[in-house]
Amino acid sequence: MNIILRLAWRNIWRQPRRTWLTAGAMVFSNVLLVFMMSFQFGMYSLMIDNSLQALTGHMQVQAPGYVDDQRMRQTVADVGDLSRSLREQLASDTIAARAQAFVLASSDERSYGIAIIGVEPHFEQKVSNISGLVSKGRFLSENDAAEIVVGAVLARNLRVNIGDELTILGSGVDGSFAAAVVTVIGIFDSGVPDLDRTLAEIPLGLFNDVFYMEGAGHHVVVNAPTVDFAPALQAELEALLPEDADLVVHDWDRLLPGLKQAIQADLSSSFFMYGVLAILVAFSVLNTQLMSVLERTHEFGIVMALGLKPGRLGRLVMLETVMIGLLGAVIGALLGSILTWYFSFSGFQIPGMEEMAIQFNLPARLYPQVTALSLLLGPGIVFVFSLLAAVYPALRLRWLQPVDAMRAA
Amino acid sequence: MNTLRVLLMLAWRNLWRNHRRTFIMLAAISVGVWAMIFMTALTQGMVNEMVKDGVSALPGHVQVHHPNYRDDPNINNLIPMADTELSAKFAAAGFEQWASRIKVPAVITSERESRGVTLLGIDPNRERDLTFVDYEDIDGRFLEDEADKGVVIGRKLAETLDTDVGKRIVIMSQDPKNDIADRGFRVVGLFGANMQSLEETYVFAGKQTIQKLLSVGDHVTELVAMGDDYRNVEPVYEKVVKLVDDSVVVNRWFELDSYLGTMLRVMDGFVLIWVVVIFLALSFGLVNTLVMAVFERVREIGLMLALGMKPSSILGQIIIESMLLLVIGLAIGNVLAVASIAPLNSGIDISIVAEGMEMMGSASVLYPQLRMEDVILANVVVLILGFFASLSPAWRASRFQPIEAITRVD
Amino acid sequence: MAAVRCIDICKTYLQGDQEIKALDHLSIEIEAGGFVCLSSPSGGGKTTLLNAIGGLDKPDSGEVWIEDQRIDTMSKGELADLRLRKIGFVFQAYNLIPVLTARENVEFVMQVQGLSPAMRRERSTELLNEVGLAGLENRRPAQMSGGQQQRVAVARAIASRPTLVLADEPTANLDSKTSDGLMDLFEELNTHHKTTFVIATHDQRVMAHVPRLVRMLDGRIVDDIEQNAA
Repeated sequence: MNIILRLAWRNIWRQPRRTWLTAGAMVFSNVLLVFMMSFQFGMYSLMIDNSLQALTGHMQVQAPGYVDDQRMRQTVADVGDLSRSLREQLASDTIAARAQAFVLASSDERSYGIAIIGVEPHFEQKVSNISGLVSKGRFLSENDAAEIVVGAVLARNLRVNIGDELTILGSGVDGSFAAAVVTVIGIFDSGVPDLDRTLAEIPLGLFNDVFYMEGAGHHVVVNAPTVDFAPALQAELEALLPEDADLVVHDWDRLLPGLKQAIQADLSSSFFMYGVLAILVAFSVLNTQLMSVLERTHEFGIVMALGLKPGRLGRLVMLETVMIGLLGAVIGALLGSILTWYFSFSGFQIPGMEEMAIQFNLPARLYPQVTALSLLLGPGIVFVFSLLAAVYPALRLRWLQPVDAMRAA
Repeated sequence: MNTLRVLLMLAWRNLWRNHRRTFIMLAAISVGVWAMIFMTALTQGMVNEMVKDGVSALPGHVQVHHPNYRDDPNINNLIPMADTELSAKFAAAGFEQWASRIKVPAVITSERESRGVTLLGIDPNRERDLTFVDYEDIDGRFLEDEADKGVVIGRKLAETLDTDVGKRIVIMSQDPKNDIADRGFRVVGLFGANMQSLEETYVFAGKQTIQKLLSVGDHVTELVAMGDDYRNVEPVYEKVVKLVDDSVVVNRWFELDSYLGTMLRVMDGFVLIWVVVIFLALSFGLVNTLVMAVFERVREIGLMLALGMKPSSILGQIIIESMLLLVIGLAIGNVLAVASIAPLNSGIDISIVAEGMEMMGSASVLYPQLRMEDVILANVVVLILGFFASLSPAWRASRFQPIEAITRVD
Repeated sequence: MAAVRCIDICKTYLQGDQEIKALDHLSIEIEAGGFVCLSSPSGGGKTTLLNAIGGLDKPDSGEVWIEDQRIDTMSKGELADLRLRKIGFVFQAYNLIPVLTARENVEFVMQVQGLSPAMRRERSTELLNEVGLAGLENRRPAQMSGGQQQRVAVARAIASRPTLVLADEPTANLDSKTSDGLMDLFEELNTHHKTTFVIATHDQRVMAHVPRLVRMLDGRIVDDIEQNAA
């Protein structure tokens, strides 16, 4: 080992208790940061997936303005044809057309205002998980059948079961009166109260007839293999859209702006907290290294009298800090990932978290996963702060006069 | 007493012997304490707004419904007792605020569009201080009385429906026999709210008008009462329970909106965890400082022991030194926190993430809330844990052997 | 009654792998009002004996008596109390508490004892005068010379009116003139206050000064002579 490295290493063990206490502060913060970040990043991607997979999808082709107002007449013409040609051109199944209206749904006993979505039964199953969440009966199959799938809470509120009839009343795309009688063939239970209470799906063909759509719809959902591929797919998709058709592509962030912002808000408050932890560690390092420099004033005086430049001593102090910092980072990251690894099997649940989890489309029990990012980011931040803190003690050496230093006890 | 004075003096002077180290430690404690209180004030502020908004959107601290209404918010689940009789009882009971209303799901239709909404039949004079709607900030006018024939809808809803003040819309709901009850209304006013979802969801109409539309005579679906503090609804709850019979259920707001109730509880827990975490991060530095201080002073501690000072006094001296450090740090931290929160009291604009905050149930202006109990909690936790953290170095110091301490040679 | 009585005390240390007999079945009696010098080469056991007498260290076997109290069986708290009331110490170095002024150092023991401020002040002024430090009351140790520091230590050692003062190499760090002055001070206090003095030293000048000289070697007394004060 290089002599300077050996010197630095021995120096930090001259006061083992102090070194361990300093590294201990780093380990504590790093364990916390690794665990919290693994937990958060995992939670965010779950939040995104769970929020998008029911309806929103990764992106949608819409008429301009529909995203803000969702008006009935802001339609995509020949939506079925468009989705078919997109499926062919992109060689992908995960593309489906939809139309949407707000209606009054009446059973024998009850009437509720609901959102009703016309879907392509076959392809809808590839872009949405609602078909998989049908807990009673079955999902839609034929494009023209007078069938409806409703949310579990809605079914309860309407007091309907499989085989019962529902009357839907609303307005067609031209403002005229629209009505239909449909049979409940499926009830889905997504666990998301908003969906279970207010959503129903009917075949797109039926929707087209009931609401006088004349082939038009409201959007085409397009899913990428995972959300990370969405931006690339969006660019490809935008190039494919006919220029004369007045259409826009919106990504999930535009469709569900609350989601990314909720994540950002949570991230920024978390990073405030992590920053505070890192600063506290930095103070600890500053204290330790300043003390260690002051204690060694006499010794430094001697080596400077021997001709060593203060800059090299400063580098020695930085090197010692790097060593303590690495100690804290490695042990912290290790313990942090062990802790996270444990919870990745047993799951992690904050007491009373269920209600909050539902609000953000999350399961009540979360299984954090260590990723490269969550493993390195926290310890990295702490390490950088520690080095910054050691700059002042290291710089102090530049003002050291050998004679004064040697006189110091 | 005398000993305590000596210890206090020694601790104080020792504290300033290595002023650099003391200043660094003070800075660390101050920053830590500042962060504890500042962050707590922000989150408390956020939760406070969320709950206040949530309660005003419900609204009412304590609510009375038919037992089935919460699961099935339908016009069939009316409060059995007649509204006039109920109202007379509540009017006489002396609540801060109370109101009875009809609250049912409905569909609203303009010439172009339909939306599902929550229809509220209210007595506008009773609701003035209950609702989130600001009567002064209405395009057009608010309802005038419970027999008003117009409706007031949110600005966002008006925009999506392509309607405006003076135009007509149709409201559809069901009557108790499940016949479709529909009627044309004139939009007389548009209200604004700090969350878009409120503007999209609620439609206000006169209570009597709606009773007539839905053919429910002198009945309502909900009766609410409000106290002066959402954190303390028990007095109101107990008063309400005495006024009604068991044909209805009485709920507090946090039972009605379990998300908000949980939020409030989780945040109180969060405050404690945050304070403890910060303290733990600080404790390494604190213990480090004390250990350094103790080991530098091996000799004089030995001397004091040799002179007849009791080990417990040495223990006390180190703990006092640590407590002095913490108390000064706490004082600076508290002042910093108050000073940094004060200019933010008019609200922090976080509208960049407005929709995200709305998803969490919060508006886009954050008012930090500095609560005395949180400040006290932070200070007490720091002092108590600080005491325990200093025990180990102090104990070590008190176990020094005077002879080894004095005769030790560098 | 003797001021100090040690009966057959032994003390063994480990230094590295080597066992050192610091005290080897040693017995000694020191009369009240005595002025005794313990001398031995380095490691001869004088400091160990002094520490055993002062209750700073416990012998492995044997008995140590201060007046009518057996101290080798006392608890730490009892020992602390005993030192506080009966024994004054002067050490070779690091005698003073650095954060306290000369006066505060002198008053320290009295304050722990619980004497009133007025009493403390009166006595500390008197004592500092007596040791020749009038005017330096408010200096901290770092602002005084070695001799001055030792004088403060002496003033402190007798401040609580102890019956016994133990001094371990009190002159080791002083020049000859200063150390003569310090010995004169000891003698004066011995006659004036009737305080028993036990001084461990290998300083010839100090040895010459005392009425009773006890020479030690390898933890045993090899010579115990009464001599006429110089």
